[in-house]
Amino acid sequence: MSEQPQQPKVTCLGYAVILLFITACLAGAAYFFGIKPEWPPKFGNGLSTPTVAAPGQDPHASPAPTPSPEPASSVEIGIAYGTEKKRWLEWAVNEFAQTPQGRKIKVNLLPMGSLEGAQELVAGNKAINVWSPASALYKDTFVQDWQLKYNKQPILREEVLALSPMVFVFWAERYDAFIAKYKTVSFTTIADALKEPAGWDAIAQKPEWGVFKFGHTHPNESNSGLMTLVLASYQYTQKSRGLTLKDILDPKFQNWLVTMERGASGLSNSTGTMMKEMVLKGPASYDALFVYENVAMDFLKNAEGRWGELRIAYPRPNMWNDNPYYIIDAPWSTSDQRKASAVFLEFLLSEPIQKQALVHGFRPGNPSIAIKAPDSPFVTYGKYGVRIDLDEIAEAPKGEIISNILAIWQRSVSGR
Amino acid sequence: MLVWKVLAVALVISGCSPSSAPDASAPEKPAGQAQAPAGAVQLVFTYGSEKEEWIKDVTTSFNASGARTASGKPIFVTAIPMGSGECVDEILNETRKPHLVSPASGVFIKLGNAQSRQKTGKDLVVGEAENLVLSPVVIAMWKPMAEALGWGKKPVGWEDILAVAKSPNGWAAFGQPQWGDFRFGHTHPQFSNSGIISVLAEVYAASGKVKNLTLDDVQSAKVADALQGIEQSVVHYGSSTGFFGKKMFTNGPKYLSAAVLYESSVIESYSSQFTPAFPVVAIYPKEGTFWSDHPVGIVARDWVSEEQRAAARIYISYLLAKPQQEKAITYGFRPSMVEIPIASPIDTAHGVDPKEPRTTLEIPSTDVMDSILTLWGKAKKHSSITLVLDTSGSMEKDGRMANAREGALTMLSALSDDDVFGLLPFSTKPIWVSEGAPLKQSREKMKTAISGLMESGTTVLYDAIGIAYDKLLQQRKTNPGRIDALVVLTDGADNKSDISLEQLLEKVRYDNEGKTIRIFIIGYGDEAEKDKLKKIADATQGKYYDGTPQNIRQVFRDISTFF
Repeated sequence: MSEQPQQPKVTCLGYAVILLFITACLAGAAYFFGIKPEWPPKFGNGLSTPTVAAPGQDPHASPAPTPSPEPASSVEIGIAYGTEKKRWLEWAVNEFAQTPQGRKIKVNLLPMGSLEGAQELVAGNKAINVWSPASALYKDTFVQDWQLKYNKQPILREEVLALSPMVFVFWAERYDAFIAKYKTVSFTTIADALKEPAGWDAIAQKPEWGVFKFGHTHPNESNSGLMTLVLASYQYTQKSRGLTLKDILDPKFQNWLVTMERGASGLSNSTGTMMKEMVLKGPASYDALFVYENVAMDFLKNAEGRWGELRIAYPRPNMWNDNPYYIIDAPWSTSDQRKASAVFLEFLLSEPIQKQALVHGFRPGNPSIAIKAPDSPFVTYGKYGVRIDLDEIAEAPKGEIISNILAIWQRSVSGR
Repeated sequence: MLVWKVLAVALVISGCSPSSAPDASAPEKPAGQAQAPAGAVQLVFTYGSEKEEWIKDVTTSFNASGARTASGKPIFVTAIPMGSGECVDEILNETRKPHLVSPASGVFIKLGNAQSRQKTGKDLVVGEAENLVLSPVVIAMWKPMAEALGWGKKPVGWEDILAVAKSPNGWAAFGQPQWGDFRFGHTHPQFSNSGIISVLAEVYAASGKVKNLTLDDVQSAKVADALQGIEQSVVHYGSSTGFFGKKMFTNGPKYLSAAVLYESSVIESYSSQFTPAFPVVAIYPKEGTFWSDHPVGIVARDWVSEEQRAAARIYISYLLAKPQQEKAITYGFRPSMVEIPIASPIDTAHGVDPKEPRTTLEIPSTDVMDSILTLWGKAKKHSSITLVLDTSGSMEKDGRMANAREGALTMLSALSDDDVFGLLPFSTKPIWVSEGAPLKQSREKMKTAISGLMESGTTVLYDAIGIAYDKLLQQRKTNPGRIDALVVLTDGADNKSDISLEQLLEKVRYDNEGKTIRIFIIGYGDEAEKDKLKKIADATQGKYYDGTPQNIRQVFRDISTFF
């Protein structure tokens, strides 16, 4: 390619996303900077620090939190959430409905993208009392917009429900063929495969597999899409911190990222939807996706009933997604709805429900749940490539870095 | 970006098909025939007819299940099958006001949302549409014929279809001279999803590419030659994928060697309603194919109340629940509930392979798609059509004649300049207006003639059909390689012909050799002798339609999709 590096332009929305992303990443980096992480991750004390148990509790004890005051009468609450938690939350809502508290509290799950959830709240969607996106990526933008409209803080209480890093997920047959050719899975080798005009014929002498099909979500609409671009940039530069403008404006890097992204497909706004599509439509739709670890693990068994085994590989470096639960101080939320939202939060953080989060591939927010137990999927799914310990965790890049990465990506889209 | 490319293609399709043509012969058959209970929240659900049998089954059980809204009102669903494009058009044009919609492919939802935003500033459906069931697009072929192409031993695809289609000796080049010519069927690319997919796949195969198709590729002599080679083996086009399937399974390999269908149609061929001479198998083209994924959405219009939206969500949840999803497998669909493993009848015993397809094709950009459709217009098999039109005195009633003229003009406008068109009005006797001439020269004259047709006299239907048939048979000797057909419209019983129905049937019966002219016949109004007319259409492997002054334009439009 002959394109010259230029200072790309970013839209207003792009800047908003970038600002939020940086804030969220900075929060994450505060915990992981320079540390080879162990499980469970240890969070420090800080303003934006995700907490793993109800305030004032021993984080290593089973939560059994102090019960919130219950609503006086039957009440209905709405939770806007990211579809990466769909299966776990739907199960939890059904379980909750069987409890004495749950018989008085009806929980409506409202699936929507992280940015969409924030926008709906600011627009005054009265069906939403709680917001639970994939990460804190969009929190600050939401807070700013809310303050402009209502002149007060929007979040009454926030907790981390569960954590999940990013992974590559492949069909096993294609993973084996990919490894045979490229030896390892990384954004560099993915980009190499996407560049092959003859696709699988050139990669593995399998013309019947067509072109190599790699997908991720939309970076302007989905948390995992933006994660893809940032982690790809780190991996290309072989860094996990200190990404510079010089790195990003390097014409070789720009050409590499644009070429990779022109070959990528999908770009849904929902990670869960993309993963489900991969399992429903098989390798004809995607050979590989870049998704949350929990989403990949949650579909491992279903995939076997359809097309065969999946394989998981971890990028280096990686990043965490903390699935926050925000109880919103909305003017339309009644006192009973706020109490009910807290009751349901405590239910979600309780040991049985957190254990079920583990079954769905999350690393529980409640640190008393051991993920190294013999029956933990993080142990039993080892054959699929699942690992407990991760390599380096990347720091948040600076704002101008992210803005340039997004702008380069925008150019790759317009060039298609 | 794939999403935008898909949308672009959808817009191309839409541009070519401003109002898609449903199977106008099929009366609306709402599923769940029971009456709605008093005080029920009633929902109208329009959906792609490919999944009609499953929807009828599960909607009937839903209506009988006692499902109620949160306030305790019973819910009653009326499900109406139609073409996928029509599902979208009806909402955009507000010709019907459904509460839920489910076309065959997500492309139609994207198209509908884009068109709806342009028109009203809001989407067609609320939020994300979930897939109800899935089925890949396949080439359905009789097993012995597929084996002759190497199926079962090696990957088979469009390249192999091209080879047999271009073979001057047909199946003889594959050691099977007794099978005659290769006869192929796919729907009209300007009216049907599987039609555009067929043409796109043919171009990909001819270019040797699987992605990044360019204008240069499409405009190359190699691609034009290959496309023409396949298209000349097409017996006729049409608007309904299911119609090809049913015709193929009923009429056997002499009618069609292969057709582009959905995987679920291949499985349907194994049901007890068909007794084909050979099994049918699905070829998943080695070059790649596409999925039909049946998304369902709640219509985003003011006529859908909050109560109906809540009721619609309950109905959708019912369709997506395990028992209904398991039932979908028995109808040959792959369930959208990933927890349900793929099982029989989605297996090799029913001609399909649950581990296919292995790859899909990329949908090209709008300009490339446009170029492909233009190329197809040149490469397609052209037609020789004679319109045999009843102008007897009874056509005066209820504006029949005026509407029939409008309908005939609609069909005329859908035919290309390279098509040959003849016109034989009849009443007391048939009188030729034109025995047939290329529309390049005769279009204006034919328009004037149709517009000036007047009603009077009696009905010599059988004589008129016989005369038109003989003339077309004679003409094809000097002008072979076309889709030859009579389009007949009549509003009453034959009361003056010299030949009997039996004699006419003997004359026109399809024999796969000399007598391959198809008759598409419209019984117009209540006095038409439907059973007799249907016998004539069936004898020629054509199609019978119920026509009324209200639907006649749509009927003619649907007939024009065959050519």
